[in-house]
Amino acid sequence: MAIPDVKQKWTGRVNTVTIGATKAEGGTRGRTVTIGGATGIPFLSFDGETPHPPAIALDVLDKAPVDWPEPLRAIYGDVWSDPAAWARRAKELGADLINLRLISTHPEEGDRSPEEAAETVRAVLAAVDLPLVIWGCDVPAKDQRVMPKVAEAAQGENCLLGACTESEYRTLAAAAQAYRHKLIALAPCDINKQKQVNILISDTGFPLTDLVLYPTTASLGYGMEYVYSILERGRLAALAGDRLMAQPVILDVGYEAWRSKEARIGDEATAAWGPPNERGAAWEAVTAADLLQGGADILILRHTKAVEVVRNLINDLVAA
Amino acid sequence: MIIFGERINGMYRDVRTAIVERDKGVIQKLAKAQLDGGADVMDLNVGPAKGDAVEHFVWLAQTVHEITDKPLSLDSAKADLLVQVVPRVAEALPGTKLIINSCTAAPDYMAKLVPIAAKYGTSIIGLTMDQRGVPGNVEQRVECGAAFLMGALEGGIPIEDIYIDPIILPVNAAHKQQIHSIEAIRQLALVNDPPPKFIIGLSNVSQKCLLNHLLNRTYLVMALAAGLDAAICDAADAELIEAMIAAEVLLGKQLYSDEFVKAWKMQKGLA
Repeated sequence: MAIPDVKQKWTGRVNTVTIGATKAEGGTRGRTVTIGGATGIPFLSFDGETPHPPAIALDVLDKAPVDWPEPLRAIYGDVWSDPAAWARRAKELGADLINLRLISTHPEEGDRSPEEAAETVRAVLAAVDLPLVIWGCDVPAKDQRVMPKVAEAAQGENCLLGACTESEYRTLAAAAQAYRHKLIALAPCDINKQKQVNILISDTGFPLTDLVLYPTTASLGYGMEYVYSILERGRLAALAGDRLMAQPVILDVGYEAWRSKEARIGDEATAAWGPPNERGAAWEAVTAADLLQGGADILILRHTKAVEVVRNLINDLVAA
Repeated sequence: MIIFGERINGMYRDVRTAIVERDKGVIQKLAKAQLDGGADVMDLNVGPAKGDAVEHFVWLAQTVHEITDKPLSLDSAKADLLVQVVPRVAEALPGTKLIINSCTAAPDYMAKLVPIAAKYGTSIIGLTMDQRGVPGNVEQRVECGAAFLMGALEGGIPIEDIYIDPIILPVNAAHKQQIHSIEAIRQLALVNDPPPKFIIGLSNVSQKCLLNHLLNRTYLVMALAAGLDAAICDAADAELIEAMIAAEVLLGKQLYSDEFVKAWKMQKGLA
């Protein structure tokens, strides 16, 4: 008797989303990044295709971070007071996208104005020709003032703007639509909320096909498996034909990995934990490697070693 | 669930008259109500309309196809009629998916209809009955369903094109048969891997019952929980469709969201 064919027949696929716009497309980017389009479980090439490999975004903050540990200071310390210089460094280190966080607009982190934030965005756009992901400061009242200005300043560049939530989505969705950007829909580790957020954003007239989902992220040892299961369920829903859940996913691995005790703790750790200057990068790389298997389309990273490991892994998985 | 919109049936006087008089407007209006309610397939039945039933079917199929590309289910208990109708409709509407509704497990029925289904690439619905008539128990339903399934597979019909209908009888006339049909679905789901699709003619359950809508939606939910895939039903019955959507959410077939009814409609392009 022949061995039965165990291939899954999926009716749906993950949406493709393109970020960035070249001159010909009305922007000034050197190239664009397209994500998504998968027709099966991640990297099961006999089951479906991965037409666009997951992309890597590197973090750039709009002010010098005060809590980044030494291994990251060694890489970015000389440029991190200047977002444009930092963005150039991120490009040199192999980023596909720049992940710009406008943390200095936070009322307790400098409270910079929407105009100053827009100026930062313009400076980063001028410094590098990579597509941008841009986040506010996560204070809704402030983001509602900052993000429309930012969206306007980056008009035509087809950035990915974050993030819409169940309670705060109208202003950002309107700004993204007016200035033709893509949008991040955030639902913290709750797939049912995620679907609801997507419905709400769609109700504003913003296309479901221009959304990227952010289920939040957790690193190894800090709840990563919850995020993994959310990714898995989301991908299965997309493949089963749920158009409300067919969006690609962005994950903030660097931030979460470098919050972990294992990444931050220095020489006082036991020798069994390994050298402190390698541990954080390893934590970041392992978290990224695991979450890739659940179905991630953009990974936000920080350490060069993590970028190298994750890039090689992605290339191997896509080629397999 | 795959919704077979049921209203285009010559059993209804308005449809019968429209068929005989070739009044497209009446048919298309009824079809549109089913499509707007979420019908995935349009079930067509010329019923006892006077005249040439083959020509009636071809006209009905063309008339409905003018407003939708969705699959058409050609509904008749007469195998000899379907043998003539399927080639004619397939020729008139190339590219439209057809479903033969229905065959039985009786050898003479299967000998006529299975080759036609294979030749024209249609789906086919098999009732769980044979030359002995409608079973009064679970066992004979399962036996007939399995016989139909095996015959259809041997005849070259792909499993995804095979539907089994465990025959729904009215609750006011055939007490206890309703649960037999549901049990037959449970048992037949184990006969083949992957299983065939299961379909019921839902409105039969409440024929001539006063509270027919309540019976319909309750029975649909019960059958869905047993593994039902499709139903021939009134897609324009909003409460029925909402009960179906809720059941699919509760069965884990759709991801919950607070506005899950709206989510279902958005997926269908209805909201």
